[in-house]
Amino acid sequence: MAVVATTTVSEPRIVADAGVRRRRFVDGLATVILWGLGASVILMLAAFVIYLFYLGASAISWQFLTGSPEETTAGGGIGPEIYNSFYILILTLIFTVPIALAAGVYLQEYAKPGMFRTIVQFSAESLATVPSIVMGLFGLLVFVYYFHWGFSALGGAVTLTLLNLPALMRVTQEALSSVPDSLREASMGLGATRWQTIYRTVIPSAIGRMTTGIVLIAGRIFGETAALIFTAGLSVSANHPYELNPMRSAETLAIHLWYTHSESIVPDVDRIGNGSALVLLVMVLIFNVSARVAGRALTKRFTGRSS
Amino acid sequence: MIAVQAKRSHTIERIAVWVLRAAATFVIVAIAALLIYLCFEGSKTFTVDHLPIWQFLFTSDFDPTANKGGAAIFIVGTIVVTLFALCIGGPFGIAVGAFLSEIAPPRMAGILKPAIEVLVGIPSVVYGWLGLRLLVPFLREHTSSASGFGLAAAGIVLSIMILPTVISLSEDAFRSLPGALREGSMALGSTRWQTIVRVLLPSASSGLSVALILGMARAIGETLAVQMVLGNATQFANGLFAPTAALTTEIVIDMPGATQGSFLEHELFSMALFLLLMAMALILLVRFVLRKRV
Repeated sequence: MAVVATTTVSEPRIVADAGVRRRRFVDGLATVILWGLGASVILMLAAFVIYLFYLGASAISWQFLTGSPEETTAGGGIGPEIYNSFYILILTLIFTVPIALAAGVYLQEYAKPGMFRTIVQFSAESLATVPSIVMGLFGLLVFVYYFHWGFSALGGAVTLTLLNLPALMRVTQEALSSVPDSLREASMGLGATRWQTIYRTVIPSAIGRMTTGIVLIAGRIFGETAALIFTAGLSVSANHPYELNPMRSAETLAIHLWYTHSESIVPDVDRIGNGSALVLLVMVLIFNVSARVAGRALTKRFTGRSS
Repeated sequence: MIAVQAKRSHTIERIAVWVLRAAATFVIVAIAALLIYLCFEGSKTFTVDHLPIWQFLFTSDFDPTANKGGAAIFIVGTIVVTLFALCIGGPFGIAVGAFLSEIAPPRMAGILKPAIEVLVGIPSVVYGWLGLRLLVPFLREHTSSASGFGLAAAGIVLSIMILPTVISLSEDAFRSLPGALREGSMALGSTRWQTIVRVLLPSASSGLSVALILGMARAIGETLAVQMVLGNATQFANGLFAPTAALTTEIVIDMPGATQGSFLEHELFSMALFLLLMAMALILLVRFVLRKRV
């Protein structure tokens, strides 16, 4: 005999009243909008890249990339400017990297919390906010007026060193702080001194991240302008466009773009501007990709971990 | 043998500490030298040329050949352009920061974050050039502006330039909040949007203020991109689309023609000093905001 359930159990149902429905709608709408804003950043970058290629592609030629700039006539190239950009970049890195690494290692690994460390940290933060143009005027005062170097690649590079030191210090500190303490303890436990620990254990573990940071900052140095106008000058070397001497004026590519647009009287300003802007953009992209590739490769090489 | 080796590593240790500390000291020396030099050079307008400070700050009569050094136009220009950029870039940046921290799946973040890094890397002049080729013609066609150059053009270019700073700092601010806040809010029946707006936004307010302040610091000092699209007219902007001038643009335009020791040179250094003090004030503000949180 079958037992027939006679009682009907009412299912528990959440009644979506108007308020809940509205909240869900608002939530969905907000999600869509936030997705849209996030996507718009990517689309914006894509639009910039496509537009710069569209403008600049026709200006690029072997003659443009290697030729010398013209003062008054059309057809000038940007060869010496590209050379100067790399020249100043390398000179700047030679100064910046050792100082920033040392200062970063000191702050992260040695300095005990206290007066000195606070002052160094605060100085680095202050240095980081000094506007590029103000740093340029400081370079003008010190290197051009006081040391009588005139406009020089060296003065420009030292100015850029001061400008980028804080960022590179922060990169170093962050890379070091990502190394687990167990590595330090193991090394010290085996009888290594603190410096041996840092040199043989901590730095190799952090080298991948550090390299990524350094290359990204190198990309920024490559495109720097305001700090260089009054220190490295607005002209390429008078003797020889590809001079090795650091005491000559050295107009970089980024400055050339600005100078051509705002001061120069050549008739093909647009062509030079479009071409230079595209070259600068491509360099930024190359720096960004190589920062990642190099960082990953070094991390793997030194720690065996993938990133 | 072991003793000799131990002694050697001890010596190396001491040299290493000494070298590292010297590098750290270099940072202090650098900022101190910069401050001293600029204060010295920047105060000459007031000590050598005897221009009263209030005239520098509050009058707009700028004629260096007649020793008239009212910098109000440039100071106002800098402040207005910066605020303009902050009004657009600030909310936009915070929203994208919230998106990255709360909503974006790893794959989306994996595209968005490198894109932001590329935006950081694009040089100032390239932004200026883009503004010149894209934005200025657009504003000329579609607004009341006759030339397209002016406050709006500079503000929009700057708002894009401060975006990466604001986005990554506000993402950090959201990420640093404990998960319990989100869980608590969700458990009480809030939707994700309600959680973001009513719980996370107020809790992250100090971190978000820092993001905005550092975005401002970046905008204040920006030079060439602004100079290329601002119009550089020595006048107060009488509308959103009117050309005006800022501290940085005035320095970069007039400095090449300023002879050493002239009134104009002193005046420009005073402007640079003022710019530096504004940036420093913002850094102190950041310290203050962060200290209050603890």
